[in-house]
Amino acid sequence: MEKIMSEYTKVQRELIHLLHDAQSKFGYIPAQMISQISRELKISESEIFGVLTFYKAFTLKPRGEHLITICMGTACHVRGAPMILDEFERKLGIKAGETSEDNQFTLETVNCVGACALGPIAIADGDYHGQMKTREVDEIIKKLKQEKRKSSE
Amino acid sequence: MKVTIDGKKIEVEGKRTILEVAREKGIYIPSLCDHPRLTPFGGCRLCIVEIKEKGGYPPSCSTYVENGMEIKTRTPRLQNLRKEILELILSEHPNACLICSEKENCDEYKSTIRKVGEVTGCVLCSNNGRCELQDVVETLKIDKVRFPSVYRNLEVKKGDPFFDRDYNLCILCGRCVRVCQELRGAAAVSFIYRGSQAVVGTVLDLPLLESGCQFCGACVDVCPTGSLAERGIRYEDLPDERAKTICPFCSMGCELEIDLKKQKILSSKPSDEGAVNQGQACVRGRFLIKDVVHSPRRILMPLIRLNKELEEVSWEEALDFVAQKLKKFKGKNIALIASPHISCEENFLLRKFASEELKTENVDSSYRFSPLPRIDEMARENGFELNLNFEFKDISKAKTLFLTGEDIPKSHPIMWLEVLKAVQQGAKLIVASPTELSLNRYSSLWLQIKPGTEFYLFSFLSKLFFHEEQETKNPGIEGFDSFKDSLGEFDLSRVFEMTGITREELDEAFVLLREAEDAAFLFGTGLTQHPWGTQNVAALWNLALQAQAKIFPLGLENNLRGVSEIGHNSSDKGLNFNQILQAASSGELKALYLAGPVPYLKKANLEFLVIQDSFVNENFELADAVLPASTFAETDGTFINGEGRLQRFKRVIDPLGDAKPDWWIISQLARRMGSIGFPFKNPSEITKQMIKVIPGFSNISYADLEKGHKVFAQKKMKKEKSFLPVRHIDLNHNKSKKYPFLMILEYSLDYYRSLALSQENKGLKAIRDSRWIKVSPEDTEKLNLEQGERIVVESSSGKFKGFVKIDKSLPKGVLGASFLLSEDSEFSVNGLIPSVFQELHSLGMIPVKIKREK
Ligand code: SF4
Ligand code: SF4
Ligand code: SF4
Ligand code: FES
Ligand code: FES
Repeated sequence: MEKIMSEYTKVQRELIHLLHDAQSKFGYIPAQMISQISRELKISESEIFGVLTFYKAFTLKPRGEHLITICMGTACHVRGAPMILDEFERKLGIKAGETSEDNQFTLETVNCVGACALGPIAIADGDYHGQMKTREVDEIIKKLKQEKRKSSE
Repeated sequence: MKVTIDGKKIEVEGKRTILEVAREKGIYIPSLCDHPRLTPFGGCRLCIVEIKEKGGYPPSCSTYVENGMEIKTRTPRLQNLRKEILELILSEHPNACLICSEKENCDEYKSTIRKVGEVTGCVLCSNNGRCELQDVVETLKIDKVRFPSVYRNLEVKKGDPFFDRDYNLCILCGRCVRVCQELRGAAAVSFIYRGSQAVVGTVLDLPLLESGCQFCGACVDVCPTGSLAERGIRYEDLPDERAKTICPFCSMGCELEIDLKKQKILSSKPSDEGAVNQGQACVRGRFLIKDVVHSPRRILMPLIRLNKELEEVSWEEALDFVAQKLKKFKGKNIALIASPHISCEENFLLRKFASEELKTENVDSSYRFSPLPRIDEMARENGFELNLNFEFKDISKAKTLFLTGEDIPKSHPIMWLEVLKAVQQGAKLIVASPTELSLNRYSSLWLQIKPGTEFYLFSFLSKLFFHEEQETKNPGIEGFDSFKDSLGEFDLSRVFEMTGITREELDEAFVLLREAEDAAFLFGTGLTQHPWGTQNVAALWNLALQAQAKIFPLGLENNLRGVSEIGHNSSDKGLNFNQILQAASSGELKALYLAGPVPYLKKANLEFLVIQDSFVNENFELADAVLPASTFAETDGTFINGEGRLQRFKRVIDPLGDAKPDWWIISQLARRMGSIGFPFKNPSEITKQMIKVIPGFSNISYADLEKGHKVFAQKKMKKEKSFLPVRHIDLNHNKSKKYPFLMILEYSLDYYRSLALSQENKGLKAIRDSRWIKVSPEDTEKLNLEQGERIVVESSSGKFKGFVKIDKSLPKGVLGASFLLSEDSEFSVNGLIPSVFQELHSLGMIPVKIKREK
């Protein structure tokens, strides 16, 4: 049994290693990679999928130009983070974890970023927005879009 | 060691969890994620206990007892904590009904309003009250949930065969994930995402059909909630009766529990007490029993042909008609086909009937396709008899396993579970197979062998054994020198090219076998279905002796061993199965009695044909009389499974319509033909006579059998094992310009009597349609074929039809199809070979071409 356990953790480590490689090479984990890794490491595709969706570091699609992360930690949650997330989802037309069709926005959630006193928190391209209100969502999106315009000018 | 639980002193041996010990002593500890057959998970925390001098509240399901432990399971503090934990769980589960104050008065409404898409309370849940969540709510007396309720609003997954998955009801206990991974080795489902998003799911959220699911239903059976719900009973009422039977679909012989309502089968489940299967089954036993027994293709009235058409008549009339006619055909004029799907008793009567009434030796069944008679035959030809008995559970003890010629998770599901256990305990698995199998994931070595060349693989490995031990001493087994000499004449220089296996791989296989202690060789029809099948088996046999391995021939139909014990045609005086079919068309035979399925007898040239079967089939158009037989569910009897174990099965429902059990039909006919040798009033009387007469049963006591004790057919073991000389075989199955593909045929067990299961059942059809022709993705692209497209496969001597199924596991240039005895002629691979039965085992690999159907 112990032998199996150590085998198991070895496989887990290798798996995470391979996923990291793929993520940094492609910017995401392409679906065919999953079957390839499954053959190589001899674990099922669903198990691999379980691991890869567990870690925020891995994505299944290329991330968009702008990354918006909503904190869903307990403190933010009770202060209305779900409403903020809803609003972002509605405005961007995508669900958490997805990227908009034009590849502009990726919306993600995270558990507690350590700024609980300021909750609810949204992080837009690295900028922290504390005590978010739903009506500020639009502004943030607009600002990000303008930045894009600037950069493309 | 000694422990106390709730003041009770308990003696414990071995490494056991507190929960296990408590359960055994009848001390109830609430639990949800734990399951006796799965590894502890410690997820739900309901099973917490207090242990004196240890802090905290450890979960009893994953805490092992230690000497002197004083454990308390129901202190007020624990009960309060449990309540809180359960309320948390309930806050994410539709809970209105669970805490409803009208609960007691509500029962009668439950059965009427269940037809909804969204389950928002127990009254709408297809779990029908058989819910472990309800049970713990009941015991912990929960009447409110102090946390805000969340309905996750996840899409209910209804796209797969047999069961729906509504993860809105899921409590994330992980039982399904564990059973799928630990017990079934499929790992089709897993926990995906994390935190509040965490859910059970498949890779990329694909349907189970594309995630390696075996559709065994094990997850449905362990799910404590209604998340996983069998669709077939969703809108059915609760059963009013439960009965046990033995599954008739393969040689594992799983014990099943059948739920009934008003004499109709609602569903079937593997029985936890099943000696062989212990709570496990496969898709066929779990989901197909009801559809087969209650199939619309059942024949429920006797039919006879007086003029042009078959007409429904009474039993009286039909039996008189057949008895009168049969009297005219005796001896060489007539033949009888028996069946591996009916009981030993019924096969015994068929044999008795043939010899006493029809006075013929021409009795046989299709059983010769199987590895079992092949190895038996091989042994007999060489003057020794084999012990064919073993127990499936022996396989789990092997340290090295060598598997050829079968995809066993599909064909031998329960044996697979034992192989998996062995691998989980560190055994090495060598797989030789032309296609990539799902079980390769568990192998240490996969030899991708060119179809049909196993003989060379085994012989080469044998040579390596000789090489290794230069001055090889005879291990004291007979035939050693002649085997060595026969092998010496072999030119094995082309072995790599022939088999497609590299020298390195062969060396690796050899090292694994040489180092092996307790090796087990499992082999299936992939070896025996070639004309040189016996040579394949002999080569494997020799190798097994060298590696000191046990050999496990894989059985096929459920009562094949029974058929072989009864010994139809054992004298070899009469015609065998294929000779009977040939004689039926050549006119050599005048009459034929079919109690077992045969392919379409288009060219038959007979004066009289009787069919005794449960289902309508193509041969009806040639029949003069059809006698409607009941299925296994409607009678009592004995089956012998692949281990050699005799298993009694009892009637579950009354015969449908006017159908009658096979034993009744034969006895009646015999009596009407004037016999006094068939006075049987019930199958038990036949059993008693049978065990007296049949040599393989001479050690059996009727009482033991009746009581369900462990009973095996007698072991055969006349002479010590001996090596066998091998003959060089010429493999002459090359692709040509004209026929650029090789077709691998797989013997399929997806039939029962003359019913093709995948044609009967939509679910099985979606998983594996017997009419699929599997094509590699490369070839599909090259030929511009589409999934599901109808194509024709043609060989130099015939053709058949099927539907394209793109299959990643096939190498290019190779096609796959299944040989199903009960397939309709148009779709049967029978069409490909002049006569499958003539060259009995030439189902191996056939050069073919394909084209679109016009
Ligand atoms: S049906 Fe069997 S193989 Fe499929 S997910 Fe459930 S346990 Fe796994
Ligand atoms: S689906 Fe059922 S068995 Fe699986 S985790 Fe959910 S509740 Fe448990
Ligand atoms: S078909 Fe075989 S493995 Fe499946 S349930 Fe029946 S006896 Fe068991
Ligand atoms: S049963 Fe022990 S934690 Fe769930
Ligand atoms: S009754 Fe529906 S989940 Fe338990």
